[in-house]
Amino acid sequence: MREEIFLGNGAVALGLVEAGCQVVTSYPGTPSSEILPEVVRLVKSEGLNTYVEWSTNEKVALDNAYAAAISGKRAACCMKQVGLNVAADSLMSAAYIGTTGALVIISCDDPGPHSSQTEQDTRLMARLAKVPVLDPSNPEEARDMVKFALDLSEEFKVPVILRPAIRVCHARQNLSWDTLENNEKKASFEKDPGRWAATPRFRLVLHGQLNEKLRKIAKKFDGLTAYNFHDLEPGKKYPLGIIAGGVPYSVVRDILDEEGRKDIPLLKIGTPYPFPDGLALEFMAACEKVIVIEETDTVIEYFLRDREKVLGRLSGHVPSEGELVPQVIYGLISKVLENLNLKPFAGNGDREAFELVQSLDLPIRKPTLCPGCPHRASFFAIRKARPKAIFTSDIGCYTLGLNLGAVDTCLDMGAAITLASGFYHSFDQDQVKQPIVATIGDSTFFHSGTSGLLNAVYNDARFILVILDNAITAMTGMQPTPGLGIRADGSKGNAIPLEKVVAGCGVDFIEVIDPYDIKATTKLIKKANEYVNDPNGGIAVIIARHPCVIAYREEAIPQPIKVTVTEDCEECNLCLDRFECPALFKDEELERVAVNQALCTGCGVCLQICPKGAIVEA
Amino acid sequence: METINFVLSGLGGQGVLFMTKILARAALNKGLKVMGAETHGMAQRGGSVVSHLRLGDVKSSLVRTDSAHFLLALEENEAYRNIPFLAKKGRMYASASENSFPRQEVRPYLEKIGVISRSVPAADMAMDLGAPMSINLALLGFFSAFKEGPVGHDEFRATIDQVSPDRFKEINLKVFDAGFEKGSKENR
Repeated sequence: MREEIFLGNGAVALGLVEAGCQVVTSYPGTPSSEILPEVVRLVKSEGLNTYVEWSTNEKVALDNAYAAAISGKRAACCMKQVGLNVAADSLMSAAYIGTTGALVIISCDDPGPHSSQTEQDTRLMARLAKVPVLDPSNPEEARDMVKFALDLSEEFKVPVILRPAIRVCHARQNLSWDTLENNEKKASFEKDPGRWAATPRFRLVLHGQLNEKLRKIAKKFDGLTAYNFHDLEPGKKYPLGIIAGGVPYSVVRDILDEEGRKDIPLLKIGTPYPFPDGLALEFMAACEKVIVIEETDTVIEYFLRDREKVLGRLSGHVPSEGELVPQVIYGLISKVLENLNLKPFAGNGDREAFELVQSLDLPIRKPTLCPGCPHRASFFAIRKARPKAIFTSDIGCYTLGLNLGAVDTCLDMGAAITLASGFYHSFDQDQVKQPIVATIGDSTFFHSGTSGLLNAVYNDARFILVILDNAITAMTGMQPTPGLGIRADGSKGNAIPLEKVVAGCGVDFIEVIDPYDIKATTKLIKKANEYVNDPNGGIAVIIARHPCVIAYREEAIPQPIKVTVTEDCEECNLCLDRFECPALFKDEELERVAVNQALCTGCGVCLQICPKGAIVEA
Repeated sequence: METINFVLSGLGGQGVLFMTKILARAALNKGLKVMGAETHGMAQRGGSVVSHLRLGDVKSSLVRTDSAHFLLALEENEAYRNIPFLAKKGRMYASASENSFPRQEVRPYLEKIGVISRSVPAADMAMDLGAPMSINLALLGFFSAFKEGPVGHDEFRATIDQVSPDRFKEINLKVFDAGFEKGSKENR
């Protein structure tokens, strides 16, 4: 036995390998990104033969894992909650067809949201797809549930979703673990076109089978005391009870224990769908009122039948957006206790401290591109060359180009390109020549850029597309991309050059540039613009290629340049507002901009930007 | 054992997560149960980073406001921002100028709830030792000199030795020791 502090995503990974999961696929996205690397770490340290892959997107990941699950193997695919939108097409169909082995889909939610476009609730996707969903409340339970999920999937031949929220994924907890072994189950695919390639007529049959599976699973969940349980005393009646699931369950449990409130019973729902109706009815019968505390949407709340008793989001007792952090939960329970004339909680609130902090006018720390980031150089050049353009952009570090005034939109993965073509046609319809510059990262382009680019070329849209190629998936924690040709376990795959993919999409103007050279990049963008506006032209693609400074510091900046600011600085703030390097700051004493040498990477890009030439080599 | 709650804060890239890792690992080495919460993703790009660490028998990872026994901040404003987490009689340690910390406006509140604040110019110390990115270790060293947490100086030192990558081990320990010495002088 070993004891180690695991990240929640590491606990999920541990559960997967302990359960003999043979195939694990993923596309990175906060808060799910560390699951696959943690699987790789365990596989390497234990010498296992688990197949792992970074897939190009979540749908691809799900399909690949599903193939293993219909070959009798145990498989998992991991993604963030909005990634499940991309994989939804697969999920809905896979639910009907089912598995022969096991498939767990791990979809990580982000209440807050901390690093996502939406606060959507994966449990609702499970309900939509009609697949069981498990909602872990901490890393230890996530590890346990992932094993149960694979067993359940194998038993009922249905995909199962595990929904850890960010406070499970990015929690850390100490866990003990033992030696791990390979699962020797061999792949076998039995041909059965009526099922694997079912036509609509047979889909009806499959739907009936799925419903039957769900009825059986619901019964199983009702008695599943490991994940669904309460602390009612037999025969006792309570003025107030609480029903909670997932992370909020852990928080409520800790609060009730810390406050010593044995007078408030708590029902935990670890399997929100299919809903353990019998258990919930039993709990509700013993309570006059119940508060439902769940993240992020209303799932348990909708399933409770006796609406008169329920206090939750629908009644306005629980906030309908934002993370349910402990102080929010503490406050909302306390308020209900007061309203019901029950003994309130002991704490006197944090209002005074919050008001104090608010009065301090502390600097707002918006995230920003790192010092030396090549995207900063690209954005500076883009804005300089095409100041009036609509700047469509995408999901990744470079969304932070917002701060530089070089990002106007960020919708979903790949939308830099699809919105660019959409904008083009909308303005072109009115005979307006609207300049458009789209920016997308290399990983995001591989994820879902190509279909949009094919469409744009096919329909003769005109815009400049800058692919920001930093040779890594940076925002999510430095995962390799297909362009790099390094696989999830560090082994060599086949690198796919962006240039070839872009050419394959039918683009004729493809130029590669190092964005650190702002002058050359600006010039190239202007040339691209001429091509876009030429009747015989088309979409112009510029690949702005420079390695990420975090992932490849030495390659990115082989010879650091020491930079300083001279007295010529007139405090025009262009470098602070339009370039926004964290290493440049306003020195109030000197009354000019100065360089924070601790943060400066020596990339030297800022030497090219000052209109007064005040940023110079030291 | 009563649960002990830590809030650790700073800016993205300052090493809040590494500081948390050392604290958690040292606690585990002592046989304590560990539960923590971290910031990942976009906020790590220079935004405010907070991590929570709870030592004891708990189920949830986040520290509630009014409940942190210790607030360790790698930057002055990131200390103030997290004042609401401090429990009565809590302790606030920050990398900040010794003379002006904490700023005047927050003193009455901290006095009222019995919080003791201490600061150390950890950024200058780390810079002087040629390791500007090691503010976190200077602060930890300083903290360890006051013998207030569940983990002692020797245990911290052993953990830093254990978890530091080889090429940073020597400098990490050097910065930690400098912080400890500074704290020890004040704690005489």
